[in-house]
Amino acid sequence: MAKGMLVDLTKCMGCRGCQVACKQWNHLPAEQTTWQGTYENPPQLDWSTYTKVRFVEGQNNGDFFWRFIKTQCMHCKDPACVSACPVGALYKTPEGATVYDEGKCMGCRYCMLACPFQVPKYEWHKAIPVIKKCTFCFDRVAAGKKTACSQTCPSAALDFGEYDEILKKAEDKIAKNPGKYINHIYGKEEVGGTSWLYISSVPFDKLGFNTTLPNKPLPHYTWQALSKIPFVVGGMAVALTGFWFICKRRDEIQKGKE
Amino acid sequence: MESRGFNRREFIKLGGIIPAFFALPKTVSATAPANRLQYAKESTSICSFCGGGCGQIVHTENGKLVNVEGDPDHPVNEGALCSKSNATFQIVNNDLRLKKVLYRPAGGTQWEEKPIDWAIKEIAKKIKETRDKSFVAKDENGVTVNRAEALASVGGAALDNEECYLITKLNRALGMVYFEHEARLCHSSTVAALGPSFGRGAMTNHWVDIKNADCIMVIGANPVENHVISARWINAAKEKGAKLIVCDPRFTRTAAISNLYVRHRAGTDIALIGFMINYCLENKLFHDEYVREYTNAPFLVKPEFGFNDGLFSGYDAAKRAYDASAWDYQTEKTCKHKDDCAQKGTIPAEAKCPVCQAAVETSTKKDTTLNDPNSVFQLLKKHFSRYTAEVTSKITGVPAAQLVELAKTYCETGRPEKTGTILYAMGATQHTVGTEYIRGYAILQLLLGNMGRPGGGINAMRGESNVQGSTDMALLFHLLPGYMGIPNAKLHPTLKDYNGKETPKTGYWSNKPKFLISLLKAWWGDKATKENDFCYDYLPKIGAGHKGGGYSWIAMFEAMNEGKIKGLLNWGQNPAVSGPNSNLELNALGKLDWLVDVQLWDTETGNFWKRPGVNPADIKTEVFVLPAAFALEKEGAVTNSGRWLQWRYQAVNPPGQAKRDLWWLDKIYKELKALYLADKNASFPDPIVNLNWNYGDEPDVHLVAKEINGYTTADRKQVANFTKLADDGSTACGNWIYSGFYPGPDKKDNKAASRDKSDPSGLGLFPNWSFAWPVNRRIIYNRCSADTKGNPYNPDKALVKWDGAKWINFDVPDFGWKDAKGDMITPDKSAAAPFIMLPELHGRLFAPKGATKEGPFPEHYEPYESPVKNLLSSQQFNPVSKIWDGPANKRAEVDSKEFPLIAITFRLTEHWQSGTMTRNLPWQAELMPEMFVEISPQLAETKKIQNGEWVKILSSRGDVLARACVTSRISAHQVNGKSYETVAMPWHYGFSGLVTGGQDRTKNYAANQLTPHVGDGNTMIPEYKVFLCNIQKIQIS
Repeated sequence: MAKGMLVDLTKCMGCRGCQVACKQWNHLPAEQTTWQGTYENPPQLDWSTYTKVRFVEGQNNGDFFWRFIKTQCMHCKDPACVSACPVGALYKTPEGATVYDEGKCMGCRYCMLACPFQVPKYEWHKAIPVIKKCTFCFDRVAAGKKTACSQTCPSAALDFGEYDEILKKAEDKIAKNPGKYINHIYGKEEVGGTSWLYISSVPFDKLGFNTTLPNKPLPHYTWQALSKIPFVVGGMAVALTGFWFICKRRDEIQKGKE
Repeated sequence: MESRGFNRREFIKLGGIIPAFFALPKTVSATAPANRLQYAKESTSICSFCGGGCGQIVHTENGKLVNVEGDPDHPVNEGALCSKSNATFQIVNNDLRLKKVLYRPAGGTQWEEKPIDWAIKEIAKKIKETRDKSFVAKDENGVTVNRAEALASVGGAALDNEECYLITKLNRALGMVYFEHEARLCHSSTVAALGPSFGRGAMTNHWVDIKNADCIMVIGANPVENHVISARWINAAKEKGAKLIVCDPRFTRTAAISNLYVRHRAGTDIALIGFMINYCLENKLFHDEYVREYTNAPFLVKPEFGFNDGLFSGYDAAKRAYDASAWDYQTEKTCKHKDDCAQKGTIPAEAKCPVCQAAVETSTKKDTTLNDPNSVFQLLKKHFSRYTAEVTSKITGVPAAQLVELAKTYCETGRPEKTGTILYAMGATQHTVGTEYIRGYAILQLLLGNMGRPGGGINAMRGESNVQGSTDMALLFHLLPGYMGIPNAKLHPTLKDYNGKETPKTGYWSNKPKFLISLLKAWWGDKATKENDFCYDYLPKIGAGHKGGGYSWIAMFEAMNEGKIKGLLNWGQNPAVSGPNSNLELNALGKLDWLVDVQLWDTETGNFWKRPGVNPADIKTEVFVLPAAFALEKEGAVTNSGRWLQWRYQAVNPPGQAKRDLWWLDKIYKELKALYLADKNASFPDPIVNLNWNYGDEPDVHLVAKEINGYTTADRKQVANFTKLADDGSTACGNWIYSGFYPGPDKKDNKAASRDKSDPSGLGLFPNWSFAWPVNRRIIYNRCSADTKGNPYNPDKALVKWDGAKWINFDVPDFGWKDAKGDMITPDKSAAAPFIMLPELHGRLFAPKGATKEGPFPEHYEPYESPVKNLLSSQQFNPVSKIWDGPANKRAEVDSKEFPLIAITFRLTEHWQSGTMTRNLPWQAELMPEMFVEISPQLAETKKIQNGEWVKILSSRGDVLARACVTSRISAHQVNGKSYETVAMPWHYGFSGLVTGGQDRTKNYAANQLTPHVGDGNTMIPEYKVFLCNIQKIQIS
């Protein structure tokens, strides 16, 4: 039932078809960018950029490498953002997508702080901002299609399917190609597992992956910490409820004007 | 950011307006996401960027385009698309698209909007005036030449086949000789090398077939960036264990996924390949049977043929040309029945065989032992023996050990069961020895037995959605549709001369008169009769051209710059950015009386008169801009790189006054015809008024398509294919190589539209998906996939197979396999004729006289501008390349202190060609917003340049601004003990559109302002890919 995505970094050649396919499908506007001294652009994930490819040059075992790392929401199995969302706007679908309900989101940005991958982004420019991020194309998946990024991937570096099968593919690839890949599937264990899995010939720390994340789901830590400071939580809840009320009221006034 | 011409707000608005057409509801329901395409209408199309021919699914709602994505059923891309193709949506829904007819009078400072009818009338009037004034009816020898030398035409590679065909038809009826387009600039040297080597000038295999390779050598190309879908099939081959070799001065995104990367100095590929050929021969790694049986290796060459110090025999330094008479085979007289007769050898002088009394025939002398010193094999060995690892390393800058690793890895494919493919593009073709680069690949592939086989071949990757089609339709000065030469005044004053001199006695081209006369019947219908040589004299005949340099791109712009060309029609090209030495070419545009520019966008070519740094009032060229329809706004066929003709359907209407190019052509022709009918004093109106042009009031693309396929003239029945064409006027055919794609009268007969995905061979041939020319052959020269007995060299890669009694064919055989009665032709017979398009019926290791101008074997010469002396001979530069002098075309000397750096230009996957199709799309502009130049960390250190800083790149012809990209992906070469740095820059940027070139757009914009006006010896393809430059840090606030 739960879907997964395997990213084979030995196959990705950085064409960024995925970046534009995502914008096309999700109607996301272009940002005005400038040359950053690298092919990479826009500079980071943003409310209008749900996915971007990082370009990394370096040396591994004396060999020069240039690798392209697609970044987006990892769709954690047990996401910190969902547990941190005070209004239940973020939640997991049975297909494994971590999605959000814009109608419920009150813009508190807790998810942004909670996310270990710095994925959720805020619509800073809007009067009524909400959180934006990759939806794992849950609308396409519900219609029986692949995600926009995986369908469009010319190099076939992205492989979308049932999570269990995708994980098995990743394990098989590593087992059947000795010496080609490093023996690690990024996302299999990290933060309790993510729907997106990466395999690579270059160690992940050299590619800018966060290799210091724990293998336990983050909500586990969240609640351990939170249980020790109930007053803070209680206080925050009151304050946030008030904030939510103000936001909601403003929304209604805005709607009234329209 | 005022200088950029747009601000952040506008930028975001532009990106935002587009989705706003169909904005999502404010709240997305999270539990049951709506399928936003549930009410959309679906149609298919083919991507309009590179020559991949990827399928697209197009969704429309209420006449609006709402979504474009990859077609999962399409065999080439299986649903995948690159970034550009994904942005197709923004081509249709874009406020920057031209929607009105625009006119700019002589000296005018702004555009004026005009009605369509006015523009058509004015344009037809201008064409007629210019043609009539400059018309040359006869040349100095009294030969009818019918040349309109003051008219010129460029562009067409982005158009559909039917449109290209009508451009050719109209231009030639007008008598146009300055007739060129993108193909001159991108792959003309391909046709000039592959044609003489194998018989046809196109990609031999196709995209999906790359998956069948055991080794893929990419040289002179960056396929995963510029032909993105190749990555899918390269990766598929690699998953099965294939190796990917990338040879490139620059570490590209293709190099990033390679198994072996070889960094050689730009302009030294012949040395690199020469070493590989040498290594292959010395170590006997070639495919022995293949070389003996399927190539001209055993043929004996005339003893007077020779080679000394970089020159082949017969060189005339004054003419910069060869007398090639010695580059020929030895012949002998033998018994006509030598297979059955006891008389096997040469018959000295008798008119009859002394044994059986049969007639005597002349044939080429051969030595099947390959030991004769005059055999092609021995001459080849001798020629390339000079390309040792040591010398090649000094020339190319590649360490000798790596050269050996390269040769060893690729020559593995010389084993009979293995195949290797060579993928190349502009990094090979755009050199002054471009043709010889590709000849080098041809020799290597023939030696390794890789031609005509799955996973093999030479895959010339085409970079525009229909540049294969436009080349096939001959939008080039020297050709007629289907690769027949345009008549030459000196050689072919009459049809009899043409047929006599251009029709070889052996090989399939012996049918040429059938194709030519069918073409003339398609063009002039009933007026073309046997008595009037089928209107042969209506065709223009070329002469020596401008300053003896022909009529090709460079010659055309040189002539234009001298005021000899008065009017130019431009069908969607953007020469202001894509032409070589663009400062010179922009200046030339200003010498025109008028320019007609048919475009989707406001391009640098259309608005050259208001380019930065000029005063519009000084430029007297009248400019007409006609807004064109995009691929999704019309219907027609395009031909991808793998020769597949694929049909595109109209999904939406063009915006405003925009019309199909077919429509503009039809209206302009009709107006011209009316003008010529009305004017009794017009210059030779016959080819125009008698032109067979009946496509309806609103031109019907299917009628044009059917004419291209060919029909019988008596009862107008579509012909089945080109084997049905005749030389007596009973058939008409617009392009013989396409014959068979529309063999019946109905739309259902259009094979370009066929979408049957069956693949019985499992090799990805998809024989019933689209139509591949010629006659649906997917892999050409496929006789070579099996041994002389007809057994496939690799049973898992069988294209054809002799089962002892008959041929079993997975592909359409490219050889004689059935005689006229339908009886099988045995494998021994077809093994003697594996390359049916060549007169000697064998692949050419040695290219005899008439094949290429540089000589029978490739030889390394340094580029036009090189920092070093040629280490192989005293011939520094291609001895037959024409030098165009002039103050605007200066040349940096060897070891120049002023310009010590090697410069190369390249393309990015995010932008396309001259950039008009991508720099106007917000999504693509976001990915690659500014002009940059790649420099090594060492050079940056020397020049004190930080990453991202603005720098100026200077050549002896101009200078441009760019931002520094300091990267280890580029580095210096050790050439003969000295270090030489290379810098590399994309050539997509210009001064017009959403994103432009340099930050200071008042001066600097396009990389081609730096490149020289110099071309190769055969096709005059410009040497874009290597020249000398310098780089300076600059301060821009």
